[in-house]
Amino acid sequence: MTGERTFQKFKRLIPKKAFLLWLDSLRKDYKLIGPVKTGNHAVFKEVDSSEELFMEYGTTMLSPGKLFLYKPNEELFRFAMSGKITIDEIAPIAEKQIIIGVHPCDVNAILYLDRTFLGTFRDPHYEARRKNTLIISLNCTRVSENCFCSSVGAGPFLHAASGYDMLLTDFESEYLVEIKSRKAEELFGLEGRSAGRDEMRLKAEKEKSMKSKFKKAINVSGLDNIFAENMDHPIWQQTAEDKCLSCANCVMVCPTCFCYDLRDEMSMDLKTVTRYRCFDACQDIMFAEVHGGNFRQRRAARLRQFVTHKLDQTNQYGVFGTVGCGRCITWCPTGIDLTEITREIQKFKS
Amino acid sequence: MKNPLKPIKAIIKGIRPEAEGVKTYTLSTEFPFVAEPGQFNMIGYPGVGEAPISLSAIMQVGDSTLRDGSFKHTIKSVGRVTDFLKDFKKGDELFFRGPYGRGWPVKKAEKKDVLIVAGGVGLAPLRPVIQIVLNQRESFGDVSLIYGARNEKNMLFMNEFKIWEKDISLYITVDEVSDVSKSPHPPFTKGGQGGITKEWSGGINVGLVTDLLDRVKIQPERTIAFVCGPEIMMRFVCRGLIMHGMLQSSLYVSLERRMKCGIAQCGHCQHSGLFVCKDGPVFSYKEVRGLPDGAL
Repeated sequence: MTGERTFQKFKRLIPKKAFLLWLDSLRKDYKLIGPVKTGNHAVFKEVDSSEELFMEYGTTMLSPGKLFLYKPNEELFRFAMSGKITIDEIAPIAEKQIIIGVHPCDVNAILYLDRTFLGTFRDPHYEARRKNTLIISLNCTRVSENCFCSSVGAGPFLHAASGYDMLLTDFESEYLVEIKSRKAEELFGLEGRSAGRDEMRLKAEKEKSMKSKFKKAINVSGLDNIFAENMDHPIWQQTAEDKCLSCANCVMVCPTCFCYDLRDEMSMDLKTVTRYRCFDACQDIMFAEVHGGNFRQRRAARLRQFVTHKLDQTNQYGVFGTVGCGRCITWCPTGIDLTEITREIQKFKS
Repeated sequence: MKNPLKPIKAIIKGIRPEAEGVKTYTLSTEFPFVAEPGQFNMIGYPGVGEAPISLSAIMQVGDSTLRDGSFKHTIKSVGRVTDFLKDFKKGDELFFRGPYGRGWPVKKAEKKDVLIVAGGVGLAPLRPVIQIVLNQRESFGDVSLIYGARNEKNMLFMNEFKIWEKDISLYITVDEVSDVSKSPHPPFTKGGQGGITKEWSGGINVGLVTDLLDRVKIQPERTIAFVCGPEIMMRFVCRGLIMHGMLQSSLYVSLERRMKCGIAQCGHCQHSGLFVCKDGPVFSYKEVRGLPDGAL
């Protein structure tokens, strides 16, 4: 969103404590959102103080992009139905917010959502929020069980050039702070040691060591062709029959799934209709139904749509639909794993 | 910033019963509405929802009927939104937004022979193409329309065939004869035997549209085909035309998918990475042939 004009992309080492205090000082102008420990896992939510933040988290169930930029529910219009119908367009709420601790996969997922909502047709609600949100990314310090971001180039360290504001790397008692936007440059006033070649080498070593910790991987070379040539591979039918419940958990937790439904709700006095948008899922049997037919009546076809939208269909935006966060694997109640499906298909080919 | 999903109010200027369960609505709004043939609008009503509907007539150069910028939708009542519309009357308000999508490549068809193949309500999105042909007849070579419907009660625009046939070769067929004695358009012939005539008033064939492909003299290298109907029909028409020597890239089809937004966001119409609403609904056969979850 930012960074169109030139700015100084400085890198500094800042003590963690000082950095978090700086964050707190921004709370008078910004809503502060970050990972918070809840029971055994972390969730992104608004905090009153940086002390609540749990920066060492592994992963969350829901991605910050689909909670605080692209909302699960969004009121769009209100129609007054008495007499001549009038339409009231609900104005985007542009509350200033900072999302801290966004892992590289989730930053890449936000860049993916940008393609949907800031493309030919721009969504005013998403755009307003995006403009008013400062994204502070945090390179990963832990690899969770189902992470495979390193296979798809979306993590564990962030390499995207723009589209976010700051990048943090954990340097034990300090953060390596990299400024990635003009907005961040203007806002960030902390003085600190400038990071030089040695620090960048240390960062590269940290990345290398993180990459060696991945248990899950996917071989992306030639994926497009493999799926296109194996659309009738028995794995689809077999997984659909043995495991898939069409529960749509995979879609709901996926940080790049952008599909929505438009719904109308009539008030009890029949005077107002509210048109709102809410997440929808290709796993729903009605999703591709038209009069006289359903293009994805079969569960196997719906499962294949989800998996190939993540790992194939790159003609859509020129990038993979997956960021390798592994949430669809973690939250599938029957343990469907798209990396296993892919391996099965790749095995078939060789 | 304007929300692209914001509907626009339109007034129904006229309603014409077209066929069984099918009506043509003439709509007008505050501004002259301009669109390309083959594009569609999201038509809807608050509390009911929206549905993607192709334009069956748009303002065009030289067309006296819609010079005022009104536009037409020919709608079959089959779903929640379209069923709701069937009781609307002249003067009622409804809502639309659009036009959306990529239409028929009519410019590409200039100086060429044009073969239009339609099934059922699939003729509606092709009607603006026919209008252009009629208005600029000298720009095109031989133009033929092959049109099939389940029976004559389901046939659209029958009142216009007489005008069309002056400039276009018509080949009309029905899958079945609903009631010969009551048919306003006798005589029917069985199995495509001798029923085809350049004078449309002469008859309707019985059989599938694919049976009629052999009746049209197709010069593959100088023909462009526009096909719209049920996907399974388009599959066999396209395959038939390829057997006649036509290239996949000279065949165009218009796809139907569920759509909520029309602006490449809601994801319902996704077809192997394509957004049918934005990248289509008109595609060259080459782009969509053999894609999973489709019949082509």
